[in-house]
Amino acid sequence: MTTLPGRQRRFVLGLAVVAVPLVLALLGPLFVGDPGPRATSFTLGGDHWLGTDFVGRDVWQQVLLGGRTVVVTALAATALAYLVAVPVALISALTRLRWLEELLMRPLDVLLAVPSLLLILLVASVLSPGAAGLALLVALVNVPDAARIVRAAAGEAAARPAVEALRMQGETWWRIAVGYVGRSALRTLAADAGIRLTGVLYLVSTAAFLGVGVTPDAADWAVMVDRNRTGLLVQPWAVVVPALLIVALTMGTNLLFDAALEKKGRRP
Amino acid sequence: MKRAPKGRGELRDLPPWRRTRQPAFRGTSFVARRLLLGAAQTVAVVLLVFALTEALPGDAAVALAGDQPDPARIAAIREAMDLDRPAYERLADWATGLLHGDFGTSLASGRPVTQYIADGFGPTLVLAALTLALLVPLGFGLGVLAARHEGRLVDRLVSSVTLAVYAVPEFALGVLLVTVLALKLAWLPPTAVGYGTDLLGHPAALVLPVLVLLSRPVCSLSRLVRAGMVDALASPYAAHAHRYGVPGARVRYAHALPNALAPAVQQLARTVDWLLCGVIVVEALFVIPGLGTVLLNAVAERDVPVVQGLAVVFGVLTVVLNLGADLVAHKLTPRAGVVA
Repeated sequence: MTTLPGRQRRFVLGLAVVAVPLVLALLGPLFVGDPGPRATSFTLGGDHWLGTDFVGRDVWQQVLLGGRTVVVTALAATALAYLVAVPVALISALTRLRWLEELLMRPLDVLLAVPSLLLILLVASVLSPGAAGLALLVALVNVPDAARIVRAAAGEAAARPAVEALRMQGETWWRIAVGYVGRSALRTLAADAGIRLTGVLYLVSTAAFLGVGVTPDAADWAVMVDRNRTGLLVQPWAVVVPALLIVALTMGTNLLFDAALEKKGRRP
Repeated sequence: MKRAPKGRGELRDLPPWRRTRQPAFRGTSFVARRLLLGAAQTVAVVLLVFALTEALPGDAAVALAGDQPDPARIAAIREAMDLDRPAYERLADWATGLLHGDFGTSLASGRPVTQYIADGFGPTLVLAALTLALLVPLGFGLGVLAARHEGRLVDRLVSSVTLAVYAVPEFALGVLLVTVLALKLAWLPPTAVGYGTDLLGHPAALVLPVLVLLSRPVCSLSRLVRAGMVDALASPYAAHAHRYGVPGARVRYAHALPNALAPAVQQLARTVDWLLCGVIVVEALFVIPGLGTVLLNAVAERDVPVVQGLAVVFGVLTVVLNLGADLVAHKLTPRAGVVA
C-alpha cells in the first residue's frame, strides 16, 4: 500500500469503506430467508444473531433488507435532478433570447434560498409521499443548484468560436447542444454528480429518519435507527449497525468521489 | 460554489466616467441588485409555503384529515382554514396577517402560532448561537492549522477527517456518539429530557447536541479556509512579505487570512441551510423542545397553520442570512463579483 500515491490510496480506502454497505444494500435482499415468527421486542442472542428490533423482527434480516431503499432512492433522485437540470441549463446557455434565459434561470436563483429539508417537510405535512415521492422531492430541491453549475460550464462552452462555426455550418440545434456544448460540460457534470450524490444520500436518509417517505415500520436503515432508539440501552445493535452502515455509505461515497475527481476540474 | 464571473469587478475601481462596459442592470449597484433578489426570495418563500401546503390539487381538508376521514372533522378543518374561499383570497389574508405579525391559529389546539414560535425559540436560539460561536473559531483554526502544515501529517489528518465527516448525516453520527459517550461511558446525558427549555442551566446536556450540530459545518468551513490559505500563502505577495522579514504569524493572519475569508464567509451563509436541517434532526434526536421539534410535531399532526408559520420563519431567516453574508463577502472582495 505504501507504494501507491496518495490519491490512489484514498481511492482504495473510499472503495473499501463504501463496499460493505453498498454490497449489503444491493445484494442483501437476495439472501433474506423466511422472516419467521415475531419474537419478543429488543432481545439479544438466541436464534437472532443481532437480536430483535422494536416489534420483535430479526435485526440482521432488517439490515439486509434496509439498504436498498436508501441507495435506490438516492440514485433515482440524482438522475431525476439532472434530467431536469441539464436541458434547462443547455437551453439557457444556447439561447440568444435574453428573456428566455432569464425566465429559465431566475426562478431557480430564487428557489435556491429555500432550505431543502424544509421544503420536504412542508410537502410531507400535507401529503404522505412514498419512496417515489421522496425521490421526486429530493430531485426537485437539487435542480436549482445543479442547473446553475451545468449552466456555468455550458455557458463557457457555448461562447467558444467553435459553436459559432457549427451554427454557420447549419448544424442542428440538437447536434450543437448535445454533441458539442453538452459534451464539453461533461467533466464539470461528473464532478458535480459526485458531490450531489453525497448530498442526496444525506437528504434521503435524514428524511427517512424524520419519517418522510417511509412507513413507520419500514425495513430501512434510517428508519431502524429512529424506531429502535427506545431500546438503545437493552439492545444497541438494532441502532448501531444501521447507523454504522449509513456512516460508511456516506463517508465512503464522499472519499471515493473526492479521490476519483481530484485534478479533474473539481468544483472549487 | 462556482459562479459565473460578471466582469464588473475591475470596473468598480475606476472613476464613474470610465465605467463603460456595464452589464444588464445599468447603473444599479451590486447592493441594490442583491437586495432586490433578497426581496424576491422572501416573496417566493411566502408564495411557495402557501402553494405547497394549501394550493395542492384535491381537497385539502380530506388530505389533512388523514387517517381519520370523519365528515365532522373534515368540515371542522374546512371551516377553520376557510377552504371554501378561493385560494388567492386566503393567500392575501394570510400574507397581510404575516406583515402584521399574525401567523394564524393552530388547527390542533386553537392557540396562536406566534405562541408556538415563542415557546420553541429559546432552545433553538441557544443551540444555534452556541454552534455558530464555536463554528467560527474551530473552522478557521483547523483550516489555518492544516494550511500551515500543508502536505504534512497534521494536514493529511485534518483533511481526511474533515472530508470523511463532511458527508455523514447528523442522526447517524449522533446516535453513535450517544451510544459510546452517554450509554457506554456515561460521561454525558443521552438526551435533554427533563430539562425543559432551561438548557443553559444544564450545560452537560448541550455538549452532544452542539457537537453533532457542528460536525458538518466545521468540516466544510475548515476545508474552504485551508484551500484559501494554501493559495494565499503560495502567492507572490506572501513570498515578498517573507523576503522583507515580516514575521510568519503576521503574514499568515494579517496578509493571507483576509484573502481566504471571502469564500469562507459565503460558505458560512450556505451552512445556514445545513444548520437548519441539523437543528431539526438534533432536536428530534436529543428531545430538545425547540422550533425543530415544534415543526416536526406540527408536520406529524398535519397542523398546517403552525407548519406554515414556522416555514416562513425558517425560510425568511435563511434568505436574510444569505443576503447578509453575500453583502459581507462582496465588501471583502469587490472584485469577485458574487451572485446576482
